[in-house]
Amino acid sequence: MADARDAADPQSTPRDKRSTARDAEPTPWAAAVPLVRAARQGDALAMDDLLTRVTPYVTRLCRPIAPADTADAVQEALTAVFKGLRGLRDPQAFYAWVRMVTVREAVRVARGTAVERPADPDELARLGGLPPDGATDLSAEVRDVLSRLPVQYRAVLVLRELEGLDERSAARLLGVAPGTVKSRLHRARSLFRRTWSQ
Amino acid sequence: MSTDPVARLRVMAAGLGAALYAEERIALPYEQVWAVASDLSGELPYLIPLLREFRVPPGDSDRKTALAVGPLGTRDTFEVRLAPGWCLMQSGLVVGGMAAVREGDGTRFAMLGTTRPFALRPVQRAYTTLLGRRRARAFVRAVEQRARLRPPAD
Repeated sequence: MADARDAADPQSTPRDKRSTARDAEPTPWAAAVPLVRAARQGDALAMDDLLTRVTPYVTRLCRPIAPADTADAVQEALTAVFKGLRGLRDPQAFYAWVRMVTVREAVRVARGTAVERPADPDELARLGGLPPDGATDLSAEVRDVLSRLPVQYRAVLVLRELEGLDERSAARLLGVAPGTVKSRLHRARSLFRRTWSQ
Repeated sequence: MSTDPVARLRVMAAGLGAALYAEERIALPYEQVWAVASDLSGELPYLIPLLREFRVPPGDSDRKTALAVGPLGTRDTFEVRLAPGWCLMQSGLVVGGMAAVREGDGTRFAMLGTTRPFALRPVQRAYTTLLGRRRARAFVRAVEQRARLRPPAD
């Protein structure tokens, strides 16, 4: 059951990952709209289907933001999403809303971790603008760099590089100024470049 | 990574605002516990008061339509989803669910029960406060008792 659900990632196509205009395009998320409507009415089977559809996406967002507590972050995010489903006015906005709730919960969970540990280099390789994880020594290096990145840097990297959000959208989602997003992203990228060039 | 069935049922309970939800460790092997939980037609009448019969068509399909028969012969049709460690049942009025995962040499088991129409939610909230948790735990204990009656799987 779990494997089949993992395979149902509606965000798994490269085009979807990088497109900023995807909200307006017909995507697998559009197929979720009837499920959202039914789930809001208390249809547990629709909720079950929606959970299957959304869990891989939520996991993919949580992993790089809360690498040490991914399972907790996923659980907290899913709980917040489904608890708040009845309050979602526009089912068409489900995808953007899931993203917002998930990032918020992942950041909250990650900040609660006393000692941060490095993220999986495989996750880093999926972030645009960063070199692929091809060599073993690079993996160790990347691990070391990531271990020094604060959670807010990881969140910005996910939103800008993985989700393809512009600065204004990322800033609104994180509750910070657009300039803060820009500076955090710059610092995160600089740190990586500096380490790789050594 | 995906949520395990018990964590998944916890999310469902939160989303549905379930009146009944309980999650407890049962000191029996998973196979022994799930053998009871997944035997819907054989065991549900022992686990749910006022349920006389629960007729499930034979076969290995993970999606079936079952018929619940009450003590006075009242009938309600349920859509049933059954997978290892996961069971979700829904009629027009009621939702029921069970989930289980291995936990050491025991089993973490969860159940949920709730009404479907949101109009009944105020009544359900009052019920939850008064009896919900106790009833849900009683269900889990009943599953444990039924499982103890079954010989352990080889």
